[in-house]
Amino acid sequence: MPERVAIVGVGFSDLRSCTPGVSYKEMMFEAATRAYHDAGVDPRKDVHSFVCVSEDFWEGTSIFDEYVPDQLGAALRPVQTITGDGIQALCCAAMLIRTGTARVVVVEGHSKYSDMRTPHHIQQFAMDPILNRPLGAHANLVAGLEMSRYLYESGNTREQCAMVVAKNRHQALLNPLAAYGARITPDDVLAAPPTFFPLGELDAARPADGCFVMVLAAESAVRDMAGQPVWIAGYGWCTDAPSLESREWGEAAYARLAAEQAYRMAGIASPLRDLDFAELDDAFSYKELQHMEALRLCRPGEAGEWVEDGVTRLDGEFPVNPSGGSLGVGHLLEATGLHRVYETVLQLRGEAGPRQVPGARRGLAQSWRHVPTTTGAVIILERE
Amino acid sequence: MREKITNPDAIRTWPGKVPVEYVYTVGVASEPFFRALMERGRLLASPCPECGVRYLPPRLFCERCFSRLEASLELEPRGTLEAFTVVHVDLDGNRLDEPQAYGLVRIHGADTALVHRLAASDADEPEVGMEVEAVLLPPAERTGSILDIRHFRPV
Repeated sequence: MPERVAIVGVGFSDLRSCTPGVSYKEMMFEAATRAYHDAGVDPRKDVHSFVCVSEDFWEGTSIFDEYVPDQLGAALRPVQTITGDGIQALCCAAMLIRTGTARVVVVEGHSKYSDMRTPHHIQQFAMDPILNRPLGAHANLVAGLEMSRYLYESGNTREQCAMVVAKNRHQALLNPLAAYGARITPDDVLAAPPTFFPLGELDAARPADGCFVMVLAAESAVRDMAGQPVWIAGYGWCTDAPSLESREWGEAAYARLAAEQAYRMAGIASPLRDLDFAELDDAFSYKELQHMEALRLCRPGEAGEWVEDGVTRLDGEFPVNPSGGSLGVGHLLEATGLHRVYETVLQLRGEAGPRQVPGARRGLAQSWRHVPTTTGAVIILERE
Repeated sequence: MREKITNPDAIRTWPGKVPVEYVYTVGVASEPFFRALMERGRLLASPCPECGVRYLPPRLFCERCFSRLEASLELEPRGTLEAFTVVHVDLDGNRLDEPQAYGLVRIHGADTALVHRLAASDADEPEVGMEVEAVLLPPAERTGSILDIRHFRPV
């Protein structure tokens, strides 16, 4: 039997819309210091392996993975970087522990978005060079097309998507980490200038800078740790065909399949009954609704009504994005999933302060790698 | 460190840029697609002999069942509008003077869809499900690129 794996320490650097005062290495050092203190570990002695997430073009440095060890206390140690969301790095770390390769593993993800002068060009460079890039359009046209198809197939409405934005930005006001908390109404969202119709300016999460570091440990190592363990009950990840021509457009199939894998591992038959809350990808307003349906939290086409009825509010029957989500916290590139896990850990430790979901025992965090990808990851955490 | 910087211009940064240039190999399956588009104004597709999915543009392999494919279908450049968007922002984040509509078009006889420009006039508001056709460049101006299709327009 593989050992159970717990998250025993979490750390962050302050999330900001821009961070001109600190380098990415200093942000990582800050988050790592907090995480090691939280877990009560010395990275030079107690950690056996390190897993990071990054993309060279976002960082502005080729072979960027070579630049991560020193600020994590990982020089001359087993280190790897995977290109994916931070939740995929957590899956990798959990597998290192479950296979007996390492007993204590550190995961890191960050965003230094504000260092990029040409982020939209970089994003467009991720599209197919022969079929899509010659059109010369901003890559978020993919999100506009997907929202158009999703609303058509699901019957959900732009108004309901606008309610997601108002909910999440409002919830973010209770989160001291969030960069974009605001008191706005669905009407404000609908009245904002169009960007990629049916998307408007307020339907998209704005970028933020920040870093998250987490310490994972095997059950046999947890007793030596200072931190309160939160157990990993299940995980899964999935990528659809990348091509715009053949991918699924209405349904988030990547999220459905990643969740099925995680539910199976965690022994969850009814997600709504067996979970207390969820942190779901909301890089665009419609994504929260699409992902609720993909994760079987509600039936296809029902997510809009749920938002309208307040079911997914912090004080509703099933809170979605108590942190404020990406809309309220900011989009953090590959660190986005780690932010969702960070919130899930706080909720399960009972440390979420004024946004605490009462009695939370089990929660789910889900990520999507943003336009133009079709990659999603899911992790389910629980307390003893 | 009692002194603090209050003027952000005084924070040191170093500019950097990288020239990025590539050529992208079109490949065995797509080469005939662009030739047929350029020479005959027709669209090739490859049906999967195992699972039946018809790929447009053609591919060498089926992503569903991993069979090897051949481009054996030649289709008219007409189809159904599956989704549309109107783009108001350029690649530098500035607002466009003229918004541009784009559509996801499923060509009749194919199971996959093309993303391309959509000519929209006030009289023809795009609508999911509507019939659209490709407007091609004149034969002499075609170069064997996806831009040999100028745009799709409502029929």
